[in-house]
Amino acid sequence: MHSMFPASFSLLGDYVPEFASFPESASTFAERNDSVYWYITWICVAFFIPIGYCLFYFAWKYHKPKGAPAESQVSHNTPLELAWSILPSILLIWMFYAGARGFLDQRVPPDGGYELKVEAQKWSWLVDYGRGTYHPELHILLDEPTRLTMTSKDVIHSLYVPAFRAKKDIVPGRYNYMWFEPTIASEKVSDEELKQAKAWNKGNPAWDYDHHQFTPEGYRFFDLYCAEYCGKDHSMMQTQVVVHKTQEDLDAWIKEKSTRGEVPMEEWGQRLYQQRGCKGCHSIDGSSGTGPTWKDSYGAARDLTDGRSAAVDENYVRESILNPKAKIAKGFQPVMPSYKGQLSDDDIDSLIAFMKTLSKNYKPEPDKRSAAEEQKGAVEQKAAEDNSTATESGGEN
Amino acid sequence: MSSGSLPPGMKIRDPGFPTQRENYLTNSKGVLSWMFTLDHKRIGVMYLIGISVAFAVAGFLALGIRWHLFLPDGMLFRNPQTGNDTYNQVFTLHGAIMVFLFIIPSVPAALGNFLVPIMLGAKDVAFPRLNLCSFYLWVFGAVFFICALCASGLDTGWTFYTPYSTTTNSSVILATSGAFVLGFSSIFTGLNFIVTINTMRPPGMTWFRMPLFLWATYSTSIIQVLATPVLGITLLLLIAERVMHIGIFDPEFNGDPVTFQHFFWFYSHPAVYIMILPAFGIISDLVSVHSHKHIFGYRFIAYSSLAIALLSFIVWGHHMFTSGMSPLTTIIFSALTFSVSIPSAIKVFNWLATMYKGSISLTTPMCYTITFIFLFTIGGLTGLHLGTLATDMHLHDTYFVVAHFHYVMVGGTVVAFLGGLFHWWPKMFGKMYSEFGGRLSCLLVFLGFNLTFLPQFVLGSRGMPRRYATYDPEFAYLHQMSTWGATLLGIGLIVAFVVLMRSLIRGKPAPANPWGGATLEWHCTSPPPYYNFERPPLVGDPYDFHDLRWDEENERYVTIEPEREIVPREIPDEVTVQANKDH
Repeated sequence: MHSMFPASFSLLGDYVPEFASFPESASTFAERNDSVYWYITWICVAFFIPIGYCLFYFAWKYHKPKGAPAESQVSHNTPLELAWSILPSILLIWMFYAGARGFLDQRVPPDGGYELKVEAQKWSWLVDYGRGTYHPELHILLDEPTRLTMTSKDVIHSLYVPAFRAKKDIVPGRYNYMWFEPTIASEKVSDEELKQAKAWNKGNPAWDYDHHQFTPEGYRFFDLYCAEYCGKDHSMMQTQVVVHKTQEDLDAWIKEKSTRGEVPMEEWGQRLYQQRGCKGCHSIDGSSGTGPTWKDSYGAARDLTDGRSAAVDENYVRESILNPKAKIAKGFQPVMPSYKGQLSDDDIDSLIAFMKTLSKNYKPEPDKRSAAEEQKGAVEQKAAEDNSTATESGGEN
Repeated sequence: MSSGSLPPGMKIRDPGFPTQRENYLTNSKGVLSWMFTLDHKRIGVMYLIGISVAFAVAGFLALGIRWHLFLPDGMLFRNPQTGNDTYNQVFTLHGAIMVFLFIIPSVPAALGNFLVPIMLGAKDVAFPRLNLCSFYLWVFGAVFFICALCASGLDTGWTFYTPYSTTTNSSVILATSGAFVLGFSSIFTGLNFIVTINTMRPPGMTWFRMPLFLWATYSTSIIQVLATPVLGITLLLLIAERVMHIGIFDPEFNGDPVTFQHFFWFYSHPAVYIMILPAFGIISDLVSVHSHKHIFGYRFIAYSSLAIALLSFIVWGHHMFTSGMSPLTTIIFSALTFSVSIPSAIKVFNWLATMYKGSISLTTPMCYTITFIFLFTIGGLTGLHLGTLATDMHLHDTYFVVAHFHYVMVGGTVVAFLGGLFHWWPKMFGKMYSEFGGRLSCLLVFLGFNLTFLPQFVLGSRGMPRRYATYDPEFAYLHQMSTWGATLLGIGLIVAFVVLMRSLIRGKPAPANPWGGATLEWHCTSPPPYYNFERPPLVGDPYDFHDLRWDEENERYVTIEPEREIVPREIPDEVTVQANKDH
């Protein structure tokens, strides 16, 4: 359909992708919605050209010197007026019908299919792949209807994938649902290109999706935006949608993301910092954000809003993650959502390990044990101390 | 005009020029005579100055937005910590100032205050003190906005969506209080016009002899009086939620954020018609006067104004198509939304039919009228893509929406406002401006506007979300086109401003009827006397141009009428007695 109706605004669209009117059509909704779009657009053009023509033609043709009388003083013509009031309504009824049909399809997901949970917060996305596996990227399966159950931790967000022509607000305090069926799989770039990109990216913890145009695993992706204004970094609240060709490919990717495996704790902590929304509010370079910076924070003393002060140690960090409103640092708002049940003990310890690497207030004690063992000891000790908290946090242990 | 061309038994009627004593601008002097004036014309002029300042401020903020978006990572507000916050505050204030301080009061309060009584044939509005009060409430509301700006800014978007607005650190309470006060200003204006039009029509001024601008103003006033209180309540609830956590909008206290959206749009959608209906009224008058032809389908246009006013109350849900309303509700709102497009289309066809076989003078107001019809048609037609549910799922909250409503609000209301201003400027200030300058400004506005907003339709359909401080590099060239367009648009508006200001100093004195209008304001001198009419004016068909003749020698239109004698009941000794009593 798209090729039949070239874009009215950018006729080059079919030949030069840069000038296209639409992003790639990558879901079952796309083709249908675009054809409705083009039918409406052509109806509009069919009205607009005569209107514009009459406007300028009359202005030229009936342009007369001042004082010349008008050729006619006809003040009304009821049948004509009724005709142009009623006849266009038929087209409107068609538009309404086509729109409502497409909308109902988009609202009612088919049975079965692939189900995922999506959590939105200022200013990051998190997809819950089940069994404790979370990742900001949305990975789904080709030709498989995918249903998203979405929640927001703070304000209203809106999940928008232009390539799928699908959008739904995510309202805090309730579940919102959406579904789509991807029809184009994400290509994988060559190993060589990936290697080059990794070399280019070396030393930079954050992957530059805009620069590379593929994920760290080498998948091309579709953009996923937040479409409802949500504050400071609303425009940065983007993630990537990767469509896998086979279930095996998808499962392998999920498996790789599910556990820390052999990755060192500090690096895993850094990855969690990037991916799980910490980054949105806590800087690691000392600048102040919505929350306190992590630089030099571990091991320091911190003033609280209630006038007390607390040492930032393992217990403090753990409590701040699981029950953030218990102690609020002075000068900040109690806006952090709880991560109870979403970060495993190993995840929390990894984050603590990462925070330690950022702080000059933390001095490892090399005379006792190696750093890794020391952390392990700390985990055990803390697990015993925080027994009650750990029980509350549910089945993650 | 030589008397030879007059039909026998006819004479010329022209009020001439006002004396300094009569001229409403000069009949009393001093700042206080303006600050405490009860004259609707002076209040209109004060409104005009106020809204022009607001328009300039919000316009420069718009240029800030556009130049920031010149580069994908932002060009103006580049501080990595606060840059995005600054951008968010800039677009919020642009929207809030434009909507609450400029567009809503623009035509009704500035032009409307000047024109409603005088077009109606009345001496003033029904409640002159309420009218002055409404102006000072506007000033008071503006002060609140300035305080919000100076305190910690405002970053909620002009829509104040919860729970963002109940949790952000910026000055939400100051800004919403400002909007609350401005709401009263708007209600007072609306109330005044409804009562004025209902009760103060002189003998002979039947409903269907009213100029269409008055029909539009009347419809607008109905919306102002009925819808604005809902905004007031909503904003008070928002403040209560923020301060006391009453648990109506914030989900943390068991509130529902979507309830706020329903409340907010129950006002703000009709408010869209508060903005555009008066523009329809202006264009209906302008197209007829400058085509020197009877308006086509007077009753259809008048009734369609009322129809729009009523339908505007039942379409608010289309702002929430993606928020998760039930499918049935969503579909009903879609159907209702389409219904409101019909009365708007009727007007466009009627305006074109008015031009057909007319005698068109391509004056500045007419150029703006043609620009309006062109731009508003695009704005209206692209609304169809958004009312259609399937395509709205893609286009909602993208630049397509931004482009659509700017075509209606700027291409529609602002262009009509400018057209109206150029049309009635000679009447308001008694000076003619440079026609060349006026037409040049119109051309620049037309080109600049289209260059700004046409690319935004493409941006939107390509998936660029609105309210983004930074964006993906593939959108860059369209944003850059838009930025250049905005700059050109700004230049066009500055040219218009300079042309009008220059006319005040250098302009030729305006005749009573420079365009050949048949409505009552052209029967007064330019500028009108402070009392508008000495005696209730003779009211005829407002679009009957048979009696008007062009007087080449004096560059004015004059009315010809049969010779007759007007016998006053008593002749006042001195006209100025009343002036001394009043001031």
